[in-house]
Amino acid sequence: MSFSASDIPEIKWSLGAFVVSLVVAAALVDFSDTFKNNARNELQTAQAKLTDARTQLATAQNDFENMATYKLEYEALELQKVIGNEQRLDWLEGLERLRKQNIVLDFKYAIAPQQSYTPNPPLDTGNFSLNLSPMTLQIELLHEEQLDQLLSAMMSQMEGWFLLDRCNLSTVAAPTGETTSLKADCAGGWLTMKNRNTP
Amino acid sequence: MSQTLLFLSAESFQAFVWKGSRLAVARNFSNDVDGREQFAAFLERHRYPTYMLVDIIEEDFHLETVPHLIGPGRADLLARKFEQYYRSTPFHQATLLKRQTEGRRDDEYLFSALTNPQRISPWLDTLLAQKTPLAGIFSVPNISAPLIKGIDAEHVLLLTWEQSAGLRQTYFNNKRLHFSRLIPINQGGSFSESVASETPRTQQYLKSLSLPPPGETLAVHVICHANDMPELQTRLAGESDLAFNFIDLQAFAKQHKCTHEFTDSDATPLLLALLATKPPSSHYANADHTHFYLLWQLRRIFAGLAIGTLLAGAIWSGLCFKQGEAFTGETEPIKMQTERILQQTRDVQSNFGDTTVPANDMKTAVLLARNLNQYSHPPKELLFELSAVMDSFPRITLRNLAWQASPADAAPSPYPAQVINFDGELTGFGSDHRKSLDYLARFQQALNQHGYTASVESMPLDISSKGSISGETNLDTGNHAQFKLKIIWRHPS
Repeated sequence: MSFSASDIPEIKWSLGAFVVSLVVAAALVDFSDTFKNNARNELQTAQAKLTDARTQLATAQNDFENMATYKLEYEALELQKVIGNEQRLDWLEGLERLRKQNIVLDFKYAIAPQQSYTPNPPLDTGNFSLNLSPMTLQIELLHEEQLDQLLSAMMSQMEGWFLLDRCNLSTVAAPTGETTSLKADCAGGWLTMKNRNTP
Repeated sequence: MSQTLLFLSAESFQAFVWKGSRLAVARNFSNDVDGREQFAAFLERHRYPTYMLVDIIEEDFHLETVPHLIGPGRADLLARKFEQYYRSTPFHQATLLKRQTEGRRDDEYLFSALTNPQRISPWLDTLLAQKTPLAGIFSVPNISAPLIKGIDAEHVLLLTWEQSAGLRQTYFNNKRLHFSRLIPINQGGSFSESVASETPRTQQYLKSLSLPPPGETLAVHVICHANDMPELQTRLAGESDLAFNFIDLQAFAKQHKCTHEFTDSDATPLLLALLATKPPSSHYANADHTHFYLLWQLRRIFAGLAIGTLLAGAIWSGLCFKQGEAFTGETEPIKMQTERILQQTRDVQSNFGDTTVPANDMKTAVLLARNLNQYSHPPKELLFELSAVMDSFPRITLRNLAWQASPADAAPSPYPAQVINFDGELTGFGSDHRKSLDYLARFQQALNQHGYTASVESMPLDISSKGSISGETNLDTGNHAQFKLKIIWRHPS
C-alpha cells in the first residue's frame, strides 16, 4: 500500500501546522526584514545628512574666513564700480575733470562698445563675467612723466578700472622756435565684473 | 520517545511500553475476542510506534545462492523465491549474507519466513484497525545479531531462554544468522535440562550441514542468570565436543543499556530492549502492515519541518531585528551630531553680517582683480629702469617708444609680459664702427642686467654673414645711426 489521497486526513494536522508555520515564518521574516531595511535606510540617510552638514559647516567656516579676508577688498571694488554694470557717464565726467586739471597738454579719447573680455593667460572667473569697454587715447605731452601722471590720475581719481594694453610714445617735430613735444597713442579698456547670479 | 513493544510467543501475547529506556507497562492479552478488544483499548491509550517481536517455532530458514542481480531484476528474483518457498505467508524476508568471491560471484541469501500467519494475523488486524503505526514484525533470531558482536568466534551457537516461548538456539556463521531453532519448554522441564538435552541435537543437525566444517569448533554461548550458572556448568561438564561459555544475563544486559532487574534466566526483557534501541532494518512486515507507520513518520516529518521552519523564521527574524536595532542605535547619535553641526553652521553664518554676496564670490572677485592687476602696468613701472640705463649712455637718444602687453612672452611669469619696442639713435657713430657697435652692445647688456630681456631688431651696421653691405663704406651720415631693440619686461614674480 502506498500513500494515497485517502491518507491525507491522517496527516492533515501536521501538514496544516507545516503550512501555517511556513506562513508565520514568512511573515516574521518579511516583517523583520522590512524593519531592518527601514532601519538601515534611516541610518544611511542620517549618515548622508551628517556628511552634508559637515560640508555645510566647512563651507560656512570657509566663507567666514573668506569674508574676513576679502570683504574689504571686495567692497573697495564695488565702491570703485568695477563690480556691476559699466558706468560710462562716470568715466566721461572723470576724464573731463582730468582734462581741466591740465595734467597733459591735451588728450582725446574714444570709447568703443562694451565687449566680453577673456584674460590671456586665462583666469578662473567663477560666477563673474568680465566685460571690457575699449578706449583709445591720443595724448599730447611735454615729457614722458605726464603720461604716467595722467594714467595714475585715471586710476586714483576716477571710478572704474582702466586696463592699459599698449602705448606708442613718439616725438613730434616742433616748428622752429617752439619746444619739442611728445605724442602718446594708448589703448586699453574699462573693465567691469558682473556677477551672473545678480540681475 | 515512547514505544509500544509487543511480544508474541506460542503461549502468550504481551504488550509493553518502552519509556525512558525501561519497560514501563506490561500487559498480557488472551488470544480470544475479549483479549483482542482489550488489546484494541490498550492501543487506543498508547498510540506510539509499535514493534512486534515474534518468538515461535513456525519460523523457517532457507539458505540459497542466487545470481547477483540489482534493481528490478533482483526484486523479481526474490519475489519468485518467496513464491516458491513461502507462498502461504506474507511474513517473509530475504537477507543478503555475502557475495561469493569466486566464480560468478553469486549472492548468498538467507530466506526466512513466519510460516504460520494465523498466529500473527488476529493481532495484526487489530493493529491495523486501530491505525497503529507498526514499525515492523521481528523475530528473536532476527534481532539477536547485536548480542554476539563481542564474541570472537566464527561459529557461534547462541542460547537464550524466553520464559513464555522456550529455549532459542541460534547459529551464526561469521556473525551472520544462518539458522535458528526454538525448543518449547515442557511443563515441569527446566532451563538447564533443556540446554543439556537439546544442544547436542542442534549440534548433530549442524553437523549434517557440515557446520562447522571438520576441525573447527562450535562455540556455544549461553545467556543465563548467575543463579542458574552453577547448575548449567555441572550438567554440561560432560559435553566434551562443545565449548560452552556462560554469559551473565544481568551484566550482559547492562552492557546493552538494559536496566531491567533480572530474577531468572528469562532474556525477554533484554531482547525487547534490543528491539527498542537497535531495531534491524529488515523484518517480516510488508508495506501494507507498516502503512500507518509511514503516515506516523510523515506526521513527524511535517511536525519537525513546522518546528524547524518556525525556529528558522524566528532566528532569522531575531537576527534581522537585532541588526535593525543596531542600525537604529547607530542612527540616533548621528542625528544628534548632525543637529549639533547644523547649529554650529547657523552660528557661523550668523556672523557673516549684512551681505547678500556669497563669500565664495567675494573671494573670486578679489582674486580675479588681484591677478588682472598684473596684466596691466603703469608706464613708470616699465620704463623706470630703462630711463636709468639711458642716463648711463648719453650717446643714445630715443626716437620712438612703444609697449604692449604680450601673453606669448609671459613665460616663466604667469602674467603677460610687456614688449617694448625701442627705436633709438646713436650719436657720434663716425668711422669707428667697432667702438660704436661695442657701445650699443654694452647698452643692450646693461638693459639685460636691469631685468629686461633685450634683443636687437636692427643695428646701424649689419655685420652678420646674412647681411649685405652695399656701396660706399663711408657710413658717416651726419654722425647719427639708427637702431631698434626689442625689450621684454616681465613682472618680477
